[in-house]
Amino acid sequence: MALLRGTLDILVLKALSWTPLHAFEIAQWVEQRSDGEFPVEDAALLQALHRMEERRLLTAAWGTTENNRRARYYSLTAAGRAHLRTETEVLRRSVTALTEVLDARTAAVSARGTR
Amino acid sequence: MSWSRIRYGARRIFGLELHRPAAAPHDADVELDAVIAERIAFLTARGVPPVEAQAQALLHVGESLTAARARLRASAEHREQTLMLRERIAEAWIDLRHAARSLARNPVLSTAMVLTLALAIGANTAIYSAVRAVILRPLPYAEPDRLVSIWETNPEFKWTHAEAAPANMFDWRERVSAFADVGGYFSFVTQSTLTGRGEPRMVSTLGVTGNFFDVLGVRATLGRTFQESETWNVGRTLVLLPAQTWRAQFGGDSSVVGGTITLDGRPAEVVGVLPDGVGVPGMDVEYFTNIGWDPASRAQTSFRRAHFVRPVARLKPGVTLEQADAALQEVVRALQSEYPGTNRVMGAQLGSLHADLIGETRRPLLVMFAAVAILLLIACANLANLLVVRAAAREREAAMRLALGAGRGHLVRRALTESGLLAVVGGALGLLLGWWGTRALVALQPPQLLPIGDVGVSLNVTGFVAAVTLASALLFGAGPALWAARRDPADVLKDAGRGATGSRRARQVRNVLLVGQVALALTLTVGAGLLVRSYAALQHVDAGFDGRNVLTAAISIPRSRYDSTAKVTAFFGELERRVRALPGVQAAAFASKVPLTPASWTSQISAQGRAIASPDEQVVHRTQTAGYHAVMGTRLIAGRFLDETDNATSVPAVVVNEAFVRQFFPGETPLGVRVTYERNPTDSSYWRTIVGIVANERQEALAKAPVPEVFEPLAQEPRRGLVLTVRTGDSPGSLAAPVRRVLAELDPTLAFSSMRTMQDVRSTALARPRFLMVVLSGFAVVGVVLAIVGVYGVVAHAARQRTREIGIRMALGAGRQTVQWLVVRNGLGLAGIGVLVGIVLTRLAARAIETLLFAVTPGDMATYLAVPALLLLTAAIACWLPAARAARADLTGVMRAD
Repeated sequence: MALLRGTLDILVLKALSWTPLHAFEIAQWVEQRSDGEFPVEDAALLQALHRMEERRLLTAAWGTTENNRRARYYSLTAAGRAHLRTETEVLRRSVTALTEVLDARTAAVSARGTR
Repeated sequence: MSWSRIRYGARRIFGLELHRPAAAPHDADVELDAVIAERIAFLTARGVPPVEAQAQALLHVGESLTAARARLRASAEHREQTLMLRERIAEAWIDLRHAARSLARNPVLSTAMVLTLALAIGANTAIYSAVRAVILRPLPYAEPDRLVSIWETNPEFKWTHAEAAPANMFDWRERVSAFADVGGYFSFVTQSTLTGRGEPRMVSTLGVTGNFFDVLGVRATLGRTFQESETWNVGRTLVLLPAQTWRAQFGGDSSVVGGTITLDGRPAEVVGVLPDGVGVPGMDVEYFTNIGWDPASRAQTSFRRAHFVRPVARLKPGVTLEQADAALQEVVRALQSEYPGTNRVMGAQLGSLHADLIGETRRPLLVMFAAVAILLLIACANLANLLVVRAAAREREAAMRLALGAGRGHLVRRALTESGLLAVVGGALGLLLGWWGTRALVALQPPQLLPIGDVGVSLNVTGFVAAVTLASALLFGAGPALWAARRDPADVLKDAGRGATGSRRARQVRNVLLVGQVALALTLTVGAGLLVRSYAALQHVDAGFDGRNVLTAAISIPRSRYDSTAKVTAFFGELERRVRALPGVQAAAFASKVPLTPASWTSQISAQGRAIASPDEQVVHRTQTAGYHAVMGTRLIAGRFLDETDNATSVPAVVVNEAFVRQFFPGETPLGVRVTYERNPTDSSYWRTIVGIVANERQEALAKAPVPEVFEPLAQEPRRGLVLTVRTGDSPGSLAAPVRRVLAELDPTLAFSSMRTMQDVRSTALARPRFLMVVLSGFAVVGVVLAIVGVYGVVAHAARQRTREIGIRMALGAGRQTVQWLVVRNGLGLAGIGVLVGIVLTRLAARAIETLLFAVTPGDMATYLAVPALLLLTAAIACWLPAARAARADLTGVMRAD
């Protein structure tokens, strides 16, 4: 299933909310936590990371992976953490609404609102 | 791990990663490769065969490797650029805060520095506004570069800037191919009486040719300008109103255009209103009228003989001044042979109209401009000095930063930020002061110094202030900055333990600045001193008249109603009689001009039956009624004054001045000699007998030596424009109202113009030199104060640094005076060098004001002795104060310090 627009950012921020990670670790975390439901393409992920670093939601520093490879480790900034909080709330609400719509059993709409 | 959270400043100092766009593409590649490699490793660790693992990993990228690389390189680069920019801003902000903090640490000093700068920049702003308005800004005409003025020359009469004869002007217009058109205006403003609009009043009018405003390229904002045909008489007078007159006298009422006003008792039609700022610089014109010559006069000899118009020509596009001059000279030569009677030796010369109109104002303004520039330099030197002292005091801080790895460039930048901040605050304040100063300058300026009306702080001036501010920040910031960069941390830290002695270079920098300051202050002060001496000399000039208790009032009567000599003399005689009858009046008379005002007409002279000493020289003329010399208190040298017996029927008589005698009859008393105003007299010439010789007076200006003059009785040389002069017992001003009333009773359609006392006339004549002197003296005082503060600062600082040495010397038995002298000698020595340098500098610069001086040479010994002496004396006091303090220092305390 393709990711909802803008959802990738939130997943990345969420992945980084415990500890700094490099790009592959982030991808792995997202895929594993979603049981493979959200496959993350590497190019899209890296671009999202660059963009969020530019927006100063993230900072990055070079480090060494377990396999002794140079990689950039990303971590959340205070702004990133705040962003995660608000966006999570927004997403949660849309998912609830979406669920409600998809769970509908009749065509009838409640009294308020429509003509 | 995530040290990029560390604040920028700390990362800098500890050499941590910084954002660099150049490395971004490579970094992006490395990052992508790492993800792929990690995934392969992950998959193979799970038992996927390597080839399969690689394929899966590449698939996971989401697009072709090339496309992904390109996209990520771009996004990484964009990111690094954004972040670097933020870093730079953060960096600048840190520097700025640092600078602000370090300035705030010593608020008194910082305030003093800002005020010094504001004062200097403010003065520069005000003077620059004037310079720009007058000298730099083009004339408010279309393509002003193509406008030239033409003067006639006559080598025999030594005329260089003579007005042109109208006929010659018309011939140039028709025959010089390089001219697109030629127009002209009268060389004099005429006083006319305006009636029918409240009280009669005198207004100044200037006659111009019909095409004059077309030549200038000026269109009327209302109505029209004159037409070419209106050079000639069209049966009525036409009037164009300058915008200022239109607003002031007609309340900006547009219905006045096309209407009729009454000038000199005759109707005149208002045809239009001119745009703002359009006028003839240097001439105070309220109304422009068409010249309205009689077409028949075009062919008359007098039209080629009398010189009274100032032609302005517009060059054809692309024609240079040289080409135009060549074409003009050709026509001038042709006219010389065509009209030998009038033009035999008449030449003509071209000049830029702008230079001509600005002429006399240029030099005083440039001198003031140079003076404020010097003032700014002194202020900058002063600031640099103070900043170096402060930088020296913070030497340890700087050394510590360097030792910890801060770049030298960084220290320089920090020092420059500090001076930049000072400069910006000072500049902003300076702009305010300048705005105010400009208004003060306009309000206090002597008449016609700034001939073009609106002098204001424009965008252009603001740009100038910004440039000056930046330049001064660099000037006074560069010293401390370079000095900061050159430090060797090891030396400084070694020295710092013992304090003070290590800053030898700082002292050298300061000494050079001090010498410069004193030298510049000397230049400024000598300049001002020369002007003061010159002004004093002007004030004490014997003007040859007694101006106390004399009231003057100009009047001109219209030819239409006073059309005969008898009517003219009768009118002035009656007016004179009634004024004399007023209480408090001791004497009253008329003359065509009073002392210290521009000359009227000039002519040749020759004597009957004998040669005169210098036949090529000109004499100026003045018409008067009996008693004029008594009113003015002029001394009689020989013979008699003109009196009531010199009337229309008596033998023509004249009185001459001493200069006349010296010029034409040296060593004689030419009473009874008969003279005429022609070069080659004939039997029918009009001969006048010299009946008296009077003392010289300053005819045109206090600074201008008396020239030969003849005085003629009104009854024999009638004129309609005269000046009433009245001598009273005291307070001549109080007679203004009664005198006006007398005129109103005699002829209610007439009015006096420019009623003023002779004291006022004299004071006006002194206004320009006084203004220049006051302004320059003000600058000089500020300059000297700044320089002396500089001397004090340097000496006081040196004395503080030497307290220990002084303490030891005194402990070893040196007397208090010896120790004081030690300190004073240092400062005074530097001031002495400054004075010497300044004298050399001044000798070179003083020539610039030579033409502005009167009775004082630019190398005036008294000034060159007094000013340096005064400067050294003040410097000595400034040196002695800290020296005295040093010598009083508590010995034991000093020894224990450190």
